[in-house]
Amino acid sequence: MKIERHDHRLAWPRPENSDQVACKFCDTLQKAPNTLEGEAAYCLHCEGMLYQNRQRSLARATAYSSAALILMVVVHSFPFLSVTAASNRSELTLWAAAISLIDKGSPILGLGVILFTIIAPLGVALSLLYLAAPLRHGIALPGTTMVARWLEFFQPWSMLEVFLLGLIVSLMKLGEITEVYFGTGLWALGALVLCLAAALSGIDRRELWDRLEIAQQNHS
Amino acid sequence: MKLTRAADVGLASCHTCSKVSPSKLGNCPRCGSPLHLRKVDSLNRTWALLVASAVLYVPAMSLPVMDIQGIGTAAFGGTVGGNTLIQGVITFWSSGSYFVAIIIFTASVVIPILKVAILVWLCLAASGKTKSSAKNHALLYHVTEAIGRWSMVDIFVVAIMVSLIQLGTLMTIRPGPAALSFAAVVILTMLAAMSFDPRLLWDRHLSQSNR
Repeated sequence: MKIERHDHRLAWPRPENSDQVACKFCDTLQKAPNTLEGEAAYCLHCEGMLYQNRQRSLARATAYSSAALILMVVVHSFPFLSVTAASNRSELTLWAAAISLIDKGSPILGLGVILFTIIAPLGVALSLLYLAAPLRHGIALPGTTMVARWLEFFQPWSMLEVFLLGLIVSLMKLGEITEVYFGTGLWALGALVLCLAAALSGIDRRELWDRLEIAQQNHS
Repeated sequence: MKLTRAADVGLASCHTCSKVSPSKLGNCPRCGSPLHLRKVDSLNRTWALLVASAVLYVPAMSLPVMDIQGIGTAAFGGTVGGNTLIQGVITFWSSGSYFVAIIIFTASVVIPILKVAILVWLCLAASGKTKSSAKNHALLYHVTEAIGRWSMVDIFVVAIMVSLIQLGTLMTIRPGPAALSFAAVVILTMLAAMSFDPRLLWDRHLSQSNR
């Protein structure tokens, strides 16, 4: 079956047997209304949001997740802060923070920091790009179902925005006792946090799964 | 208007991809996740995780979160933050760093306690032991989901301090025993919020109003 290019302003294409939605808060079964871009559907019963049709969803998810991946390279290449005290200079990167926890006797905590600040954000950005970029042409690459489940799994554990707050707090703590220099990494981290948030909120999860289902059906 | 609830007609909304399918299929036809009408054993799991996090909160508050050793300990320790999380907050407040004090206090005391209290309240409501509107409950559930992760800021501050303050033999900072307990509290409360099924609140609400 030929894939028709879809007008981006309209409701996204629906797979078969996908005309019903059950509210995730109150479980009320209802017809899933078609929403135009920028609109959202709300539950008839509890008024909780069912889903929303984000503007230019695939393009934005692709763009912001690629930007996030590029910024991750920058974040890992340049330190956030550097401190010079008693002629010792130490620089802070995500790896350095996690590795020093492991070195100083708390390996579990170190692995947790690696998961929350390195693996989970990378997993989110990579999986979203892997799904969204080919979907712009109606293609689902192999293993998309698994990748989409990873995306759901990693999302709650990606905590770079919390780490950024931790950096700000540490900066204020350390600023009183020693000289602290900001690095390129700090600005890159700020941008990375914004890009990840924009990528994740760029496409509704229901739209992503619906489009994946259609792309997989067309493929087989 | 009579509304149908998906569970009443044997339809389950997939936990992963939210597709509505008959629960007797066993697995979601779209994403392959197991289908359940409600999250499995939701209340028991949430209670267990809440109890575990409440227990771990005691060492997290009473033991040192950072272990500062070296010749500069007294002077440095006073500024970097005392031993336990609470001592740190007091040190920062009295030295005029109100912003840092407020953030650490919110992350280490307000959010964990508020979150556990809300989830306990919701669990009681879902088992019919309290009376208040289901809409307020939904709002409370949103709040717990949104704020929980921010408590982790304490752990990241410890990681940053440990990594930056390396003065060789002069002074070292090591993560204290409270750091691991506190991280566990944050993770367990996040898991508790995830395992709680807000639809149980409406199940209870609707069965009470039908009677």
